[in-house]
Amino acid sequence: MKVTFPHMGNIHIAAKIFLDDLGVDYVVPPISNNKALEVGTMYSPEEMCLPFKIMIGNYIQAIEQGADTVIIVGSCGPCRFGEYCELQMNLLKKLGHEITFIVLDSPRDVGKKELLERAGLLVKESGKNNYSGILAMLKGVKAIELMDEIEKEAYWLAGYEINKGECKKLLHDCRQKVVSTKDSDQALKILKEYKKKINRVKMDSTKQPLKVSIIGEIYTVIEPFSNQYIQERLMDYGVSSNRMLTPSWWLKDLLGKVVKMNSISLRRASQEYLPLGIGGHARECIGEAVLAAKEGQDGAIQLFPVGCMPEIVSKSILPTISKDKDFPIMTLVLDEMTGQSGYITRIEAFLDLLERRRETSHVLFGN
Amino acid sequence: MKVGIPKGLLYWKYGIFAEIFFTELGCEVIVSGDTNSEILNLGIENSVDEACVPIKVFHGHVASIKDQCDLVVIPRIMRLTDREFICPKFCGLPEMIKNSIPNMPDITEEEINAYHEKALYKSMIQIGKKVTKDRRKIQKAFEKAMEAYQTSSCGIHDEKYESKIALLGHPYNVQDPFLNMNVVNKLHHLGVGVMTEEFAPKKEVNEYANQLFKKFFWTFARHCYGAGAYFAENRKVDGIIYLSAFACGIDSVVIELLKDRVGDFPFLVLKMDEQTGQGGFDTRIEAFVDMIERRKECEGNFSSYGEHSYSS
Repeated sequence: MKVTFPHMGNIHIAAKIFLDDLGVDYVVPPISNNKALEVGTMYSPEEMCLPFKIMIGNYIQAIEQGADTVIIVGSCGPCRFGEYCELQMNLLKKLGHEITFIVLDSPRDVGKKELLERAGLLVKESGKNNYSGILAMLKGVKAIELMDEIEKEAYWLAGYEINKGECKKLLHDCRQKVVSTKDSDQALKILKEYKKKINRVKMDSTKQPLKVSIIGEIYTVIEPFSNQYIQERLMDYGVSSNRMLTPSWWLKDLLGKVVKMNSISLRRASQEYLPLGIGGHARECIGEAVLAAKEGQDGAIQLFPVGCMPEIVSKSILPTISKDKDFPIMTLVLDEMTGQSGYITRIEAFLDLLERRRETSHVLFGN
Repeated sequence: MKVGIPKGLLYWKYGIFAEIFFTELGCEVIVSGDTNSEILNLGIENSVDEACVPIKVFHGHVASIKDQCDLVVIPRIMRLTDREFICPKFCGLPEMIKNSIPNMPDITEEEINAYHEKALYKSMIQIGKKVTKDRRKIQKAFEKAMEAYQTSSCGIHDEKYESKIALLGHPYNVQDPFLNMNVVNKLHHLGVGVMTEEFAPKKEVNEYANQLFKKFFWTFARHCYGAGAYFAENRKVDGIIYLSAFACGIDSVVIELLKDRVGDFPFLVLKMDEQTGQGGFDTRIEAFVDMIERRKECEGNFSSYGEHSYSS
């Protein structure tokens, strides 16, 4: 059994540590790239959303390297992510690949026993006991937490740094270095080291960079390839950016849901505009926009793939928030027709608008 | 009190329920007119660009009656069956309307859970409170409405035609003649009968749908998939036409799964959006019907599609 998994931002770092420790053979698919998107688009149903297509590209590139088992998480929300596993299984089968899928679904829908059985497949393969499986998982969680913190700091501090490009370089070095080792303790050590390093970046606290929130659909927000590296681009412009949705947030949210204590601040913030969850992360998107306005950020950019059902609802609500709070929000809809310059122009124009709003007290904006 | 009921989305299935319910409560019920290009244009003007055409049409219906009523019914239908949803846009429909259409009168925002009569009753009490405080009156209206709904029927089942086609898709796509350019009439004109998912036996529908690896969590996806598989595998019809709105997330999944399931069985997907032209639609339907008839007459049910028609 050679395990693989789709990419989503830095998740591969945690997954690698987990699988290394478990002693299961695995393939990390090449970081999402144009070839993956091309292959994925070729084989996927036309009207499927962008994450599906990139994932198919990831699988096929991993299969070329010998992978034969795919691990993904499932959901039973009204968003179509929950149906990914079924479609992807059929699709790969039609292409002639005999792939086993391990779908980690919520125990409420498939039953606890079934879920444990599915997860048990992995542990059985490794020949280790459940205890070391849990230990390996904890290490993976620790790693993704550290990585998310480093990333968050880097994106935010990029606006304040004195030596331009330092944060970006540190972030890149960190991502590269941490996957170069097969020893989990070593990897965690590297992450801790970089966390210290990122806090020691020389800063000019008198600077007042533009502050932008990245909100929207979780995959396109987290996976930099799918959003044309928007946050790294913002780093280059000297803009501080932040986003709330990260893999470690997702984990916390998932655990919190059990006792209904998940993301209370977000839920409270969204109360006025969208008082209930409608699937996907539409409610979070609304909450983030309200919070960003409250925190005094300059603007927000909403990202979602074409046809994303929950985010279409939030897109229809955002203009009202924008008007009520006098807070500019731009929406970028992403798909496989990647026209970079179109996106760049829009991002630059948006940043220009934010800058001008600071200089003169009021610049009109609208949809 | 004047209550407006927009003739869009699930009005096509549950309109009678809403009409009777509000009439019994003593309201003057205003149902928006049949969908026409004016309503469609109003909808396009007043909704978010990325929405699918049925949602836009619904916006149009709301905009066309909003000035005449004191309360507009915007059903927030969360569930029709336990643990199943419809589409996220249904859950956020009141928000979409509120934020897209200016100067809206009061609307019904309460959640509607219809997986059980008790749950539905609870939801309707909340909605009825907008009109009257008298709980008994609401209960009576609910019972009347329920009765009317249960005796009503929706869907199409033509008996007298020789060839038959299953028309699948969300009910608002199948039953709104403006949206689907009157595909039913077109088929009748070509001498082909129509059958919709409502006429597939429920037990079989669930059986076929449950054969999937993962249970559907969308009600209409389960209906369409189950009915399609049942019709095709038992040869109840000669072909399937799937009516789908452009960029419908649910259909993008169902169509793919159904295609895999029925294999060589004649299957046509008609995509609808606000720019669909009649000519293209007609040509495709005619070609499909021709294909079905030829298949019957001279090709011994061989598929005209796929590799095996060329290799021996």
